[in-house]
Amino acid sequence: MAIHKVCDTECCTLFLFAKKGDNIEISYIMEKTILIGGEAGLGAAVTSHFIGKTFTNLGYYVFNYRDYPSLIRGGHNFNILKISDKPVYSHEYKYDFILALDQKTIDFHKKDLNKGGFAFGPKETDPIVQKLQGPKILANNVLIGLLFKYFGVDLNILFAAAEKTFGKNADMVKKSMQEGYQLGSEKEKLKKFKSRCFISGTEGMGIGAIAAGIDVYLAYPMTPASPLLHFLAKRQLENNILVFQPENEIAVINAALGASFAGAKAMVGTSGGGFALMAEGLSLAAMTELPLVVYLGQRPAPATGLATHTGQGDLKFALNAGHGEFLRVVLAPGDAQEAISRTQEAFYLSSKYRIPVIILGDKHLAESNYTFNDIEKSSLAANRFILENPPQNYKSYKITENGVSPRAVPGQGPIVLANSYEHNDYGHTIEDPVWAVKMQDKRFKKLNYLKKEIDKLNPVSLYGKGSNLLISHGSTKGAILDALPQLKGFRFLQISYLKPFPAEMVAKEIKKSKKVILVENDARGALADVIREETGIAIENKVLRYDGRPFTPDFLIDKIKKSK
Amino acid sequence: MNPEEFFSKETNTWCPGCPNFGILASVKGALAELATEGSISVKDTALAAGIGCHGKIFDYVNLNGFNGLHGRVLPVCLGMKLGNPNLTVVGFGGDGDTFDEGVSHFVHACRYNANMTMMVHVNQVFALTTGQANAITEKGFVDGSTPLGQGEKPINSVLLALELGATFVARGYALQGPHLKEIMKRAILHKGFSYIDILQPCIVYHKHSVPYLNKNTYKLDEAHNISDFNQAIEKAREWDYSYEKDAKVPIGVFYETERPTFESQWPQLKTPWHAIDRKINWDNITREFK
Repeated sequence: MAIHKVCDTECCTLFLFAKKGDNIEISYIMEKTILIGGEAGLGAAVTSHFIGKTFTNLGYYVFNYRDYPSLIRGGHNFNILKISDKPVYSHEYKYDFILALDQKTIDFHKKDLNKGGFAFGPKETDPIVQKLQGPKILANNVLIGLLFKYFGVDLNILFAAAEKTFGKNADMVKKSMQEGYQLGSEKEKLKKFKSRCFISGTEGMGIGAIAAGIDVYLAYPMTPASPLLHFLAKRQLENNILVFQPENEIAVINAALGASFAGAKAMVGTSGGGFALMAEGLSLAAMTELPLVVYLGQRPAPATGLATHTGQGDLKFALNAGHGEFLRVVLAPGDAQEAISRTQEAFYLSSKYRIPVIILGDKHLAESNYTFNDIEKSSLAANRFILENPPQNYKSYKITENGVSPRAVPGQGPIVLANSYEHNDYGHTIEDPVWAVKMQDKRFKKLNYLKKEIDKLNPVSLYGKGSNLLISHGSTKGAILDALPQLKGFRFLQISYLKPFPAEMVAKEIKKSKKVILVENDARGALADVIREETGIAIENKVLRYDGRPFTPDFLIDKIKKSK
Repeated sequence: MNPEEFFSKETNTWCPGCPNFGILASVKGALAELATEGSISVKDTALAAGIGCHGKIFDYVNLNGFNGLHGRVLPVCLGMKLGNPNLTVVGFGGDGDTFDEGVSHFVHACRYNANMTMMVHVNQVFALTTGQANAITEKGFVDGSTPLGQGEKPINSVLLALELGATFVARGYALQGPHLKEIMKRAILHKGFSYIDILQPCIVYHKHSVPYLNKNTYKLDEAHNISDFNQAIEKAREWDYSYEKDAKVPIGVFYETERPTFESQWPQLKTPWHAIDRKINWDNITREFK
């Protein structure tokens, strides 16, 4: 078990090493929450990212949350930016600024404006856009100008950022920023610190995949996994990888296995509905023992559910999808940095053990932006685990000590087979009972070796101190970490490997805790069932949220304080 | 190269006298001749098969192979080309496999035009599950799942392939081995997606097709212009896969044309990925987030 550093700044280490009963007072120099909203297509997401990136370049910590309905034009999209000079991993619904691209945004959110907060909208932007005779979208830049004037940020910093984001033809953009800037008034003077990194969960997964040496990424569009398809497709030439969108998810997974058979490092991505279509292919990956990484970006279901929102309701589906009994790894990154290293681990384990590995994410992880001092990669080798010179008497499913058959690929010389039927060690179809048992045992032999390997990859992480325990997995990490300083007596156990399950580590932490509360973004608390199945321990106390929205610290603190 | 070099010691479990034996012999012959001519490299050739009687061919041809799921031969073949563009890929599907379970993949395979060959064993029944009707079964056919008789007309797969843009479309007859072998050779050599509809009458569940096909099949000759799409369509319409009355059943190459291959759209798809030793430039891939 690893006692994790939450981050490398004072505030987190403060509560990590605080003694029981210590009264920690954290005085923030700067903490602001900004809502940016408008109809879809008006630019809220781009503006929000721009503001966030500008603040991280100034050395501030930013968390960016996206909330949007399933439509392309109209509706009401909004982003929430939480900005602080201390690490921040979540958002809240109380705003210091509302930047509105339409009146509806002000009408909807005005009730949540903090005392002394500001709301800027069409009243401020319309006259300027008219004066400049530019497109309506310039309102975004007027708002940006207004906001940064408040913080006393030099206009040239904005101009440089605008050129970086919008290219050299950013004249109108800069002009409208300047107009907004002149309209605003300076209330604070921000200090500048060392620039930080601003990155989303999706981007983390993309970087992780590239760092792990991905060759082929296949996916059929489905929110919230599509951003990874776009990310990798856009960068395919410069990174020498191939990205393709086949006709459906069934084709996706079968083609990925064909590519894996041919020697490529292959990954597929989808959400729950597409993953359901891939279930038979997942079983095929296990039977053929072809490495495959599957990204499952969850959203609320059943069926189409809440297409553009978040949830963790597919945990048990990820653990159990596919017919028959077979080994798999299911891991759940908790933030964008973990998305990088866990994706690298996914490729490593999948290639080394010739098993499917599922990266369990969700919309909240995929589409939120996080701030880190630096971006780090896992030190795991991006090995292909393919024999250099396979022998002529090569057997595709050779029975070995650890159950892993050394891998060769077609073209190397010897005949290479992959078979969905039960097979002998050569790969030919068999029906006799002796081989059937031999092969099933061979595939399961990998488990012990896999467990030992995973034990070294921090399958669980513990944050904070206290006799009470919060348990969760995946993207809930952010809100929990931000709530933890205000939850006296609680520590947090994040489970990153859901399969094989680190049962002993989890049981040990539960047993030494007075009160144990499960936190999960679903309706039934599936992780509690998993823990009971794996450890025999029942967790009765659950804080759940299943309205399609992620947890916020306020929500958690309220529910946890009310819990028995 | 001798076709028997593809001999596999696996026990063949097709029914005695099954026309699949004819397909097997033609495949081995075609591959051996192409290898002898230097047109293919055997070690760089891989087959894929689906599930059904046809799929057993996976065990009977000693060659790199992937025996996948029912209906999913084409995505596996496509994946192999994406994983290693140098592979010569030959897919085998059943008619139920290809035109019931996996029909969406067939539609798109014709569009994509990846450089690979798809051979469909058309026996007009799901034979390995005891003879249920499939998408190519003629109207009126009675079986265990369809005691009131198959209600719909069958898909004309040759016509379908032509309409969807397959760049090589042919039909062979399993009981005309040497002719079938020649078609297979041409299909494998064709640059793009090649489709061969192989009539493989089931001698257990669809017996009536044997005498019918023996009587009515004829070989397309030089009079047929394979680059004339309309002529190909006309020929494809001569037989609608039914048995009510005698109709001429053309076998041979219906159509061949050229179109850029699927693989050619990716400039980066040049070599097998596994041969690439990647050097990851961490600064390059993370710079935009700093």
